[in-house]
Amino acid sequence: MATRRGFLAGLLASGAAPGLGWADVGGPTHLSAAKTPSGDFVLTGLRDDGSLAFQLPLPARGHAAAAHPQFAEAVAFARRPGTFAMVIDCARGRVAHEIVAPRGHHFYGHGAFSADGARLFTTENHIESGQGRIGIWSRQGGYTRIGETSSGGIGPHELLRIPGTRTLAVANGGILTRPETGREKLNLNEMRPNLTCLSEDGEQIAQWDLPPDLHHNSLRHIAAASDGTIACAFQWQGDIYDAPPLLALCSTDSGLRFASMPDSAMRNMAGYAGSVAVLGDNRIALSSPVGGVAQIFDSAGRFESEMKQADLCGVAATATGGLATDGLGGVHRIADRLSLLARHDLAFDNHLVAIRDALG
Amino acid sequence: MKIFALSLIFALPTLADAGVEAVVDAHILPGYASFADATQDLAEVVQTCDSPDLKPAYHAAFDAWLAISHIQFGPVEENGRSLAIAYWPDPKDQTGRAVARLIGANDPAVENPAAFNEVSVAAQGFFALERLLFDTPEPTEYTCAFTRAIALHLASAAATLNDEWRGDLAGLLRNPGQDGSPWQSPAEALRVLYTSLTSGLEFIKDQRIGRPLGTFERPRPTRAEAYRSERSLRNVALGLSALRAMAVALAEGDIPDTTAAFDRALASAQTLDDPALQGVADPGERFRVEALQQQVVGIQAAIATEIGAALGVQAGFNAMDGD
Repeated sequence: MATRRGFLAGLLASGAAPGLGWADVGGPTHLSAAKTPSGDFVLTGLRDDGSLAFQLPLPARGHAAAAHPQFAEAVAFARRPGTFAMVIDCARGRVAHEIVAPRGHHFYGHGAFSADGARLFTTENHIESGQGRIGIWSRQGGYTRIGETSSGGIGPHELLRIPGTRTLAVANGGILTRPETGREKLNLNEMRPNLTCLSEDGEQIAQWDLPPDLHHNSLRHIAAASDGTIACAFQWQGDIYDAPPLLALCSTDSGLRFASMPDSAMRNMAGYAGSVAVLGDNRIALSSPVGGVAQIFDSAGRFESEMKQADLCGVAATATGGLATDGLGGVHRIADRLSLLARHDLAFDNHLVAIRDALG
Repeated sequence: MKIFALSLIFALPTLADAGVEAVVDAHILPGYASFADATQDLAEVVQTCDSPDLKPAYHAAFDAWLAISHIQFGPVEENGRSLAIAYWPDPKDQTGRAVARLIGANDPAVENPAAFNEVSVAAQGFFALERLLFDTPEPTEYTCAFTRAIALHLASAAATLNDEWRGDLAGLLRNPGQDGSPWQSPAEALRVLYTSLTSGLEFIKDQRIGRPLGTFERPRPTRAEAYRSERSLRNVALGLSALRAMAVALAEGDIPDTTAAFDRALASAQTLDDPALQGVADPGERFRVEALQQQVVGIQAAIATEIGAALGVQAGFNAMDGD
């Protein structure tokens, strides 16, 4: 019977899958790395009703993923200080390529494609100098390395392409680590986090530093609004009861502006923002798995509400609102409160990636 | 008929397990009732500001709070109530500033509960009261009215918490999954209690003990909780006792390693003759406070093994990640 599924299976069997798009792999809207009950690691595709579109094995624990703007292809990054990333062919359900960091570099766990999908950008540590690098890879050449550029700081973590542009934004966390000392933070007194914007050619376009009294606020995760404003999520490296706001908005016009939030909401974040998303209605979601909360801010960065959910970390936009995932397998719709859409027998890892962010 | 029977089964709220029942009945409800009573007593005593019963009533109310201060969910997390009751840790001395501001301005808010509800939360609770009772030279008419305002505010907050728990919340926690319950399954109800237990221990270790300890090179005795009223060690001991009771209720079965670990720490606290934990600055005394902190670490390990593993509750996959 010429069902769609049969047709696809035939294509796959013949090995002739001609660059299948996201709609061809069960229509996932989001990607997330996860851990299975048996302790294996997978990349999952989720639909915005909370259901699983696919679940594909990863050789090790993932962190974030980058969705290709056209093809059903995702790059799953090992968590730092990993030295490999896997290009997953989500149609065939297999690792299409393994990307290995150049000698003397390691990945930080995030990356993004260029607008045309031809190049992949990865955040990296140049271990000897401790300086952040953005690795540039060519998809067409089977993900060969074609260059690198400075990230503009130390400890680049999340990298995204501002939708609708050819501009990359990089969160330079400012914290120096070395593989031989694992996750130990080696430069807390001197750390200087910043947000850096680069062209797809690797030229630095703009950079925003934190005020000196906030230099312990490590910028890790970012999300872009449709007008190009970047929502910045921080992890405070001092006394958590002395933490400043962990959300800031940055735009070319206004620079970096910290959000306002009530004292109790600040304390509930426990000094740690794990993920940030600009939702479909332009509100901003900030998560803290340590505090077990997600907080919602309006598009100007004013605190609106807080929702409790144990181990919640992944937050991402949907067309009209948002979706959140937790380490207990929960997929939640973000509205005025969280509503559980589904619970899977998985522990969702830090980041939920909206495929739509890669398409624009 | 068969369909009807099935739907009836599905409509029944899922029953929480016995551990949740025990914590609600033997720990949370009596704890909030005692807190409401003790703050009510405080509010009555403070009607005359020079009463010799005032400081004892402050201590009794603070003691009652310690029995439930680790229950950081439910009505206490709404509207910043928890901070309004106990604003600590307070590295920027918001309490001192807020108290000084009200006194300096002779702010009439202290005469009116509705107006007092709007002042800084750092001026509304136990730590502001402590400043007035233990760290203010001579009581004046104003500080006396301020003292009364705090006592009334605490009594009102405690009564609200007690009412809300006695009203719907206890039932919703006992019947997770029921319409309107914030907990959607028995597992979620268990997890929120287990999290209270483990977060409570972490707070004792890192904040109540860890803050004054600071580092060997830089001990921070003035960061001890409620050191002005010499309650720092008492808060550690009462916190541990409360968490021990909660652990026993939650676990259902025997938890010999956990109770033994609690008892070791409680015995150390009892022999530590240092109510305000000021010995942290004395190298000869400091090690005893460090030892107590290590004993709390021992409790955490025992709980993870004996309760967490048995309940199938593990530390968060993301919460522990740090990336």
